[in-house]
Amino acid sequence: MTRTGFVHQALCYGSDQEFLTGTADFLRDGLDAGDVVLAVLSGHHIALLTEELGSKARDVEFADSRDWYDYPSRTLGRYHAYCRRQDKGRRVRVVGEPVWTGRTEFETQEWMRYESLVNVAFAASDHWLLCPYDTRTLTANVLATARRTHPELALGARSSEPSGDYADPADFSAQVTAERRPDPLPAGPDDIRFCRGRSAAVRRALAGYARRHGMSAQRTYDMVAAVHEAVVNAVRYGGGQGVVRLRSDPEHLVCEIRDAGAHASVPRPGFPGHLPPDARAAGGHGLWLVRQLSDLVAEDLDPAGSVLRLYFRRSGAVQPAAGSVNS
Amino acid sequence: MTVVPALTTVGQMRHGDHLLLGYDTDEERETVLAAFLLDGLASGHRGLLLPPADIPAGVALSFLEMHGCRVDEEVAAGRLCVDGHLAGPEGLWDLDEVIRREARRAVGDGFLALRVGTEILRAQAGQGLKTLHDSELLLDPVFASLPVLGICQYDRRVFDEAELAPIAGLHHGRVGADEVWRDDLLSITRTFVPPGLALAGEIDDSNVTAVARALQAERARALARTAHGVRARLDLGGVHFIDVGALRLLVFCALDLSAAGGTLELSGVAPHIRRVMRVAGWDRVPGLRIEPQGEPP
Repeated sequence: MTRTGFVHQALCYGSDQEFLTGTADFLRDGLDAGDVVLAVLSGHHIALLTEELGSKARDVEFADSRDWYDYPSRTLGRYHAYCRRQDKGRRVRVVGEPVWTGRTEFETQEWMRYESLVNVAFAASDHWLLCPYDTRTLTANVLATARRTHPELALGARSSEPSGDYADPADFSAQVTAERRPDPLPAGPDDIRFCRGRSAAVRRALAGYARRHGMSAQRTYDMVAAVHEAVVNAVRYGGGQGVVRLRSDPEHLVCEIRDAGAHASVPRPGFPGHLPPDARAAGGHGLWLVRQLSDLVAEDLDPAGSVLRLYFRRSGAVQPAAGSVNS
Repeated sequence: MTVVPALTTVGQMRHGDHLLLGYDTDEERETVLAAFLLDGLASGHRGLLLPPADIPAGVALSFLEMHGCRVDEEVAAGRLCVDGHLAGPEGLWDLDEVIRREARRAVGDGFLALRVGTEILRAQAGQGLKTLHDSELLLDPVFASLPVLGICQYDRRVFDEAELAPIAGLHHGRVGADEVWRDDLLSITRTFVPPGLALAGEIDDSNVTAVARALQAERARALARTAHGVRARLDLGGVHFIDVGALRLLVFCALDLSAAGGTLELSGVAPHIRRVMRVAGWDRVPGLRIEPQGEPP
């Protein structure tokens, strides 16, 4: 089956056999056509496909979905980097199944947004993405949303129908953002006020906070870099001053950057920081970096005063006992 | 990389300073010496050069022309002098006497101090550097008692570090080129081997313009030095934070050099900065070369 232009399909399956029927020939077709063929799946599905494809499996690049689908913005960055590494002119054909189980509601919504953003991120490419959805385990909400985030529904490996429910990614993303809009944190003892020329003081205070809360050196660098960019944006577009509020809970360090607003209407970017900017682009790098370096982001970008809340997962799920040394 | 003790920059020199300059290239020697002598002109001092050869003042000082100095005028007015004293085989013997006399004469002629630059040749250093040792030792009381500042230049391509270390001990320390920029967060210094800039500290929205200015000058320096292709080099070994705005500046500079067939080379990039560049997609910009970790500069 030959297609041109970007293709993004959801494959709903209810058994291992349906999964194989929908994916194996899709991958074989890709190999026969000389495409770059990538399958990002659970270990179980990788094993099934490896057996089904036999010797052809060697030409498929497999990746574990638990490593690949860690945080939505970073996964988008990862796909972007992967496609950029390939030879120009070669189509990249992907079977990619995000991890939906064990996610919080917040994370689930961001993964839904991710599935929608893919349509914009690769719109100009020739890549072909097939996303399997397991009808046995996924909630009705996730399955219904798949129809809103994929322009097409796959019927087996070689045919498809348009999804009648497909939503424009800008509308879909705006809806998620509206549901994600963070209530401002109340003032706290760790608040860091900032204004023009004071970003170094914010970085110092932030690094100290991260250290006191047992953040690893690498994640501290990420956090400092991400918050710095948000602060610089706030100074530049948000009226020149604001406050960074810090919280920690057992799962995350949370950094909230609030500005007072410039009271001048700056055109809002369509997908702020969600899509990789061109290396030579004049803007958009700061917010892209913010999303790449933090784990989750909730935002309310408003010319009258913006709130950006960044979540950094603390290393290790288990809290160390009081007084123990954290590496 | 050898550990270099803290340097006095030439712009920080004061009366009585007797410092050693170990230089690796003529560019480095001329950069330091030009700043030293031009600071003297600005301060009402007389500048005296004791080169290792008997050459006319205009020739010995011609490198100052590039810095906007009218050498002939300054020599005619007695503000700059050249004395071939060290050109002779026995020039080192009474060096202290010469400098004492010249310092007094400068004061007598109405100058506020004497700035003296000496260049020691291998041939004059003598057996086992004994003569040199003695003459440097004798200089100390001169610098302690008279309004005189001095730089003793040693070519590091001729004197190795094992020879220079004890000689440096006879001085008040070593002198180096002025910083291009220094603020609370960042210092920018010129490097000579290889030619480029060394940055240390943090680069953010508050000092990105200083980096832009330094980079622009460095770009001109690279374009003028085409022997090995146009290469501007930045040693980022001392940089522990750089933000997106400053990285964009490096990308712009690299693209610009690339258009001229050149490259911007970054060395000593810390892993967390490298990661930011990769995330931003700036690790594969045409004209930008990031040296692998651990590679000597």
